[in-house]
Amino acid sequence: MEPNPDPTIAAPDLSVQLGPLHLKNPVMTASGTFGYGEEYASLTDLGKLGALVVKGISLLPRAGNPPPRIVETPAGMINAIGLENVGVEVFLSVKLPYLCGLDVPVIANIFGNTIEEYAGLAERLDGAPGLTAMEINVSCPNVKEGGMVFGTDPAMTAKVVEAVRRKTSLPLITKLTPNVTSIAEIARAAEGAGSDILSCINTVAAMAVDVYSKRPRLANIFGGLSGPAIRPIALRCVYEVTRAVKCPVIGIGGIASAADALEFMLIGARAVQVGTANFVDPTITAEIIEGIRLFLEAEKIAALSDFIGTLDTSCLFPFAEDACGSIEI
Amino acid sequence: MEKVLETARIICRESLAPLIVRLRLHSPGISAAARAGQFVMLKVREGIDPLLRRPFSFHRIHPDKGEIEVLFRIAGRGTLALSKLGPGDPVSLIGPLGNGFELPLDRTTQIAFIAGGIGIAPLGELIAQALSGPGQTQKAHLFYGARSASELLPEDIVSQFGLRVHFATDDGSFGYKGRVTKLFEEFTARADEDFRPAEVYSCGPLAMQYHVAKWALENDALSQLSLESLMGCGIGACLGCALPAADCGPGDDQRFVHVCEDGPIFSAGSIKWNQILIQQSPPPTYLFS
Ligand SMILES: Cc1cc2nc3c(=O)[nH]c(=O)nc-3n(C[C@H](O)[C@H](O)[C@H](O)COP(=O)(O)OP(=O)(O)OC[C@H]3O[C@@H](n4cnc5c(N)ncnc54)[C@H](O)[C@@H]3O)c2cc1C
Ligand SMILES: Cc1cc2nc3c(=O)[nH]c(=O)nc-3n(C[C@H](O)[C@H](O)[C@H](O)COP(=O)(O)O)c2cc1C
Ligand code: FES
Repeated sequence: MEPNPDPTIAAPDLSVQLGPLHLKNPVMTASGTFGYGEEYASLTDLGKLGALVVKGISLLPRAGNPPPRIVETPAGMINAIGLENVGVEVFLSVKLPYLCGLDVPVIANIFGNTIEEYAGLAERLDGAPGLTAMEINVSCPNVKEGGMVFGTDPAMTAKVVEAVRRKTSLPLITKLTPNVTSIAEIARAAEGAGSDILSCINTVAAMAVDVYSKRPRLANIFGGLSGPAIRPIALRCVYEVTRAVKCPVIGIGGIASAADALEFMLIGARAVQVGTANFVDPTITAEIIEGIRLFLEAEKIAALSDFIGTLDTSCLFPFAEDACGSIEI
Repeated sequence: MEKVLETARIICRESLAPLIVRLRLHSPGISAAARAGQFVMLKVREGIDPLLRRPFSFHRIHPDKGEIEVLFRIAGRGTLALSKLGPGDPVSLIGPLGNGFELPLDRTTQIAFIAGGIGIAPLGELIAQALSGPGQTQKAHLFYGARSASELLPEDIVSQFGLRVHFATDDGSFGYKGRVTKLFEEFTARADEDFRPAEVYSCGPLAMQYHVAKWALENDALSQLSLESLMGCGIGACLGCALPAADCGPGDDQRFVHVCEDGPIFSAGSIKWNQILIQQSPPPTYLFS
């Protein structure tokens, strides 16, 4: 860290309170983009992170989709990994113990294909030493309901959140999908069912094709778009969600700089997650944390919480008074 | 061995063929730890176009000078941008990544190197190591093919590798007319040549690697194939670089290996070749010439 230029001014306070969850700074890694932390350990200081969200976990290991699984598109990438993961038992016996040794809050991201799977996972993870919170990925097909994605229906979203809530007292985050007509409606359902925090967005449904081979770029045909390309969509979603619920919201989508992160916090996100940008620059989270600190210092804002949600949409007509007064323009 | 993030400087850039460029980079941290067959994730320029890093093998490693060489073929936006850089320009690297080749301990075994197109890149360092060092040098031949003569490295550069080289082109514009793997199969079957490799090292398009794998399995030869996949991160985090594994996972019908972590070097028998779904064909070269 740069030394504070004026030692009489206290360093800005970057800590944030998200309902029951207290973080030393607002920058987390997004699920599926940071492995289980270990992959990045030699490249960046994991201890600096506000929290580390691990790759999505299911009850049983999952092999994932056949390749090709990823493709780059303008300012982003589409992935159809198919939620490959080691399963909850290996997570608990191998991955989590490693992370426990580091000074960073660990958040487990969980998913299932039935409500029972979500509940079973929550039960298995509850009380695991070193686990700070759980994030529910509701962007998964419900196999018992014809494959409809849980997170696209308010009632199904609520059922998942309720089932998980009953099994754990850990802080609970519900991660929303943008692939819905009204994200505000789903947000209200998740909050009503007991989610302490909401995070949004997951990837945006997308596809890519190749005119030369005349084939889809992904074996799965469809995938999820992430990276800077989706930031404006994410910003709009976070804006709608923060205005629909009372609980704290985590902004996710295309964040690749401190300025990007601050945009989300300006509109009301209490914290952010950084995804695809980790692939490009493994040290990006540390740079974002430092950039936020420099911004607060330069803008003379004592605490990040004083900045969050200060978007001004009121005074959009600065000359309105003049127009009403003597001068007519 | 730790992977590092390092800003390298381009020392030298040479155009070796219409679409093939060789870069020499000053990258002391990475060159000190690099092994033949490993690779770096390279950011061709700052910003979001292209967004992701691109994987490139070590073509040569010079730890004494703190340098590495990368040999690449212009195949799209990223490599086109990279081809425009010159001496003094910085590029960000993560490496060394992946497992790397292992040469046989017994220096008397016969080995074959098979390269298709830009697949010659990682074999450069491997061949240099096989032919140097104390004692006997390895008895080795290189089989090197491409679609046409213009996509091969110039003969004088290849002859500097210092071993017997057999060229092939699909269109017959240089050397044997036909697939390089066919040339290889025919040569190893010749009665007048005493060349029965116990191990093959290969790099090239998947269609070529499939034939190498088949030969190795049918002839009970050891094999080390440098395989490719599209990569998001190069360090095992995104799980984007999967290939179908030959063996199954517990209670699962298909398991996947990850090229960046488990590879890029695989034995022929570790991949389920008939489950490789879509062949991504590179875009036609007329886009770049
Ligand atoms: C471990 C590894 C080592 C490699 N080493 C070298 C090397 O030493 N020299 C070299 O020239 N190339 C190498 N490649 C391939 C190289 O990474 C791609 O050619 C490059 O990423 C293309 O980027 P682009 O932006 O120019 O093309 P894009 O516009 O991204 O794509 C152009 C075409 O190239 C294909 N392509 C893109 N990325 C890859 C990839 N990773 N593997 C295979 N095809 C790809 C695409 O499907 C597309 O058809 C290596 C790949 C891997 C996985
Ligand atoms: C390769 C990849 C894998 C992902 N895996 C998961 C996952 O397992 N669970 C999940 O909730 N989100 C997953 N995501 C979504 C990200 O966590 C994030 O919501 C999304 O990528 C948008 O953020 P970004 O633009 O910063 O990447 C994944 C994204 C990518 C690119
Ligand atoms: S490229 Fe990301 S896991 Fe291999």
